[in-house]
Amino acid sequence: MPTPKHTPGPGETYDPTQPPPPFGHALKQYFAFKNDYINLNHGSYGSLPLPVVWASSQLAYEIESCPDIFHRLQYFEKLNKSRELLAKFVHADTDEVVLVGNATAALNTVLRNFEWREGDVIVLASTTYASAANTTRYLADRSEQPRPTIYTIEYEFPLTHAQVVDLFRSKLREVKQLHSNIQFTDVPPASTGFVDDVTMKKNKILAIVDAITANPGVLMPWQEMVRVAREEGVWTLVDGAHSIGQEPNINLSQARPDFYLSNAHKWLMGKRGCALLYVPQRNQYMIKSSVPTADEYCSPGTKAYEKRGTGFVTQHEYLGGSDVTPFLVIPEVFAFRQWLGGEEAINGYCSKLAVEGGKRLAEVMKTQVLDESGELTLNMPNVQLPLPVEKTPGELYPPELRTKINLFLQSKLLYDWKTYAAHYYHNGGFWCRCSAQVFNEVSDFEYLGRAFNALCQEVEATFLKSK
Amino acid sequence: MLGWFTQYFAGSDSRRRITPGPGETYDINRKPPPFGHPLKHYFALDDKYVNLNHGSYGSIPLPVIYAANLLAYEIDSNPDIFNRVAYKPRLVKSREAVAKLIGAEADEVVLVPNATHALNTIMRNFEWREGDLIIGATTTYGAVSNTIRYLTDRSEQPRPSMLTIVYNFPLTHAEIIELFRAKIQEAKQQHADIQFTDVPPLSPGYDTDPAEKKNKIVAVIDSITSNPGVLLPWKEMCRIAREEGVWTVIDAAHSIGQEQSINLSETKPDFWLSNCHKWLFAKRGCAVLYAPKRNQNIMKSSIPTSHEYVSPNGSKYAEVGTNFVKQHEWTGTTDETPYITVPTAIAFREWLGGEEAIYDYCHKLAMDGARRMAEVMGTKVLDESGELVATMSNVYLPLPTEKTPGEIYSPEVLAKISGLMMNKLLFEYNTYAGHFFHNGAWVSRCSAQVFNDISDFEYVGKVFNVICQEVKDTILRGICEEQQQQSGPSILNSPVEDDWVILADIDVES
Repeated sequence: MPTPKHTPGPGETYDPTQPPPPFGHALKQYFAFKNDYINLNHGSYGSLPLPVVWASSQLAYEIESCPDIFHRLQYFEKLNKSRELLAKFVHADTDEVVLVGNATAALNTVLRNFEWREGDVIVLASTTYASAANTTRYLADRSEQPRPTIYTIEYEFPLTHAQVVDLFRSKLREVKQLHSNIQFTDVPPASTGFVDDVTMKKNKILAIVDAITANPGVLMPWQEMVRVAREEGVWTLVDGAHSIGQEPNINLSQARPDFYLSNAHKWLMGKRGCALLYVPQRNQYMIKSSVPTADEYCSPGTKAYEKRGTGFVTQHEYLGGSDVTPFLVIPEVFAFRQWLGGEEAINGYCSKLAVEGGKRLAEVMKTQVLDESGELTLNMPNVQLPLPVEKTPGELYPPELRTKINLFLQSKLLYDWKTYAAHYYHNGGFWCRCSAQVFNEVSDFEYLGRAFNALCQEVEATFLKSK
Repeated sequence: MLGWFTQYFAGSDSRRRITPGPGETYDINRKPPPFGHPLKHYFALDDKYVNLNHGSYGSIPLPVIYAANLLAYEIDSNPDIFNRVAYKPRLVKSREAVAKLIGAEADEVVLVPNATHALNTIMRNFEWREGDLIIGATTTYGAVSNTIRYLTDRSEQPRPSMLTIVYNFPLTHAEIIELFRAKIQEAKQQHADIQFTDVPPLSPGYDTDPAEKKNKIVAVIDSITSNPGVLLPWKEMCRIAREEGVWTVIDAAHSIGQEQSINLSETKPDFWLSNCHKWLFAKRGCAVLYAPKRNQNIMKSSIPTSHEYVSPNGSKYAEVGTNFVKQHEWTGTTDETPYITVPTAIAFREWLGGEEAIYDYCHKLAMDGARRMAEVMGTKVLDESGELVATMSNVYLPLPTEKTPGEIYSPEVLAKISGLMMNKLLFEYNTYAGHFFHNGAWVSRCSAQVFNDISDFEYVGKVFNVICQEVKDTILRGICEEQQQQSGPSILNSPVEDDWVILADIDVES
């Protein structure tokens, strides 16, 4: 069957020689949202530009015209092109970057490759993403030895970056004191005291460090935390899920985390199903197997292992049948963002809007932004909702009530008001996290404020009336 | 709620809709074209491409591609509504549709990206101890045996050991069963000091008390192997394993949409998995993982671990156990279209005539096609009886067979021949069928699909004649002459299975 010839619909192509429309509502034509949907929640699931949707659907036909030629021969070159572009973007070597399905998959790849021993410690935060924390919980839940122990740093925002670093350093030292009988001699290659001899390595500490947390959506001083961890001989897994396409100037060769991951399908506007996993050469021996284990696994002791070690890059080339289009449309993604003005222009607009929009939203709701200083905010402002704040946890909002309120807000925002921003309970109060994207304007924040005003009144009248 | 949602999406944004091209929709009230080349109309395969290799990557029908592309617009018209609300009920529909096809309950079935992923989910959830055994086979799929190898490669305890059954086809089902049973008994004898008391719930001697469970044996059993593509007597093997107290993980990657009469509630394997994006025509990125309720306590975590993970040390565990189904609902942001368009694939197959009609056509074509191809090449089919054939058949290629490994074909030569075949088939002759070296001989594996007919097999046979001649003239030149001087041409003889062992991890330089 000849490939069906579809013509691109409105917004699915653009003339790269012509200037783009200005940032703001004029750009909505390049996204698939229903006309009346005011989307202030790009951060959760991303937003695909129509040209990327179009490129993916056309690629699907190309793949199907001969799946064997594609998968056996053409795929690898295209995959490497995407890896190259993403590696360059984060200042890493191409061979330190592989693509996986999403940030959670990347995180699981790292965590499940460590051979955990009794005495090992994993340090999380109260703001660690739920499925990341659950992965460590699962490892610690093994019904018998060996299993790591988990420690959690409490972050109650607002905090300054200096405060965050202090809390982080304190926790690492506290862990060592609490376990002074354990020899944490399995330190990362970049730390002092690293030894090659396997018999000298007893136990290890791994810290999961968010680059940008989810709830609240705040920028963390992750490069400084990585440095502190390195000094302390602690492994760092940096969860940068929200970072690429939002955080400017990510330089992994400089920051030197032990492991780093980010979703291409969030702020970079990629197609859902693509994340990057960065493992510097010095640490690739730790990643014994892709997850799932696939065709190119290299067993220690074989000739193949002698030649290429764990074969980090080849292991991740093909993890079984899947839709590879998210990996392969990365060039189109970059091209579109380049046309819009490039990373600096995009993030310049979005970060300015985040501040202005957050301020306006706080005005409309007569509340406050979480981050007065601006230190914690890139493209996601967090603003308090007009609901009472409790001084002790559970005083006003027991856990079941928090869930009820959140479900109520979700439903009403999406269906009655046709808008959305993430909302969550933090430190006694309710907050919303907005995402300022290239298709948003300040009026979107005003509208959201009106919606929250009405809805929070309803919450007080119904859920909280007995209080 | 669902009706409201549908209405919401059927709204005014028609500029986002794509109009279906030829082959992307069909009138369910009209009869479909007959099986064979007329059905190529509904597939995106290039018209001139003779595809006898559906089995490797699947072939997605145009109506499924179209539905997925349409769904992409729907999802992005409001990603929050889709991911937070609309997605789950639609996932349930897909799971129910698949469960029905395999005789399982919906709550025993979850969807994952592919068979390798499903297999890893199962094997990585077992808590391995020193002394545990995993039984694989020489015909186990590469990624699967690698997964087992990875588990045994842990640099320090605890780690299981691996045993491998050697299957040199052709074998009858009776022979396979014997080899399987013998391996289990050998394993127990060789490890007579180990107490294999951690048996599956349905086996004799099962005890719920964890303190009584020492070690276990887990057998990974193909229902249909890849190379060669043959149907194994897996149901009987399940029964034997159950008698012997051995856990069964059935790698049925090729089964759904190919194998008939799958009834898991009857056969009762401990775990079963299959790719919907192979013979069931689903979009790539969808496989089914089956874990009966009695075994869901073993499936502690999805891979990756998700929001719905339930700790056995928490209070929720008493209520929902491991929360198997909910754990697999959402494992991070992804493109859900492969899962959600499974009913579209099943409906298309219904329209074509239904599972039975599809099987009847494809099975007959696999048998007849293989015979015709063997005629054209002057060789034989691997399986005369048909016992091993569902809708894939295997035919010997016109190349010399060797009686001892390495006699004619070193690993480098094998790789060279494979490479030459792949390139010639795809680029010069615009066709493909699987080809591999097994038990001393070169074999082709052909997939008989609804868009194939016997002329495809004839064509591929003729093509292989030319290619194999070239192989003999170039790569095998010196070696071939030497062989002929020593023992005469042996192309037409099937190899004898007891003569040698094919090692699973020949390091082929590529």
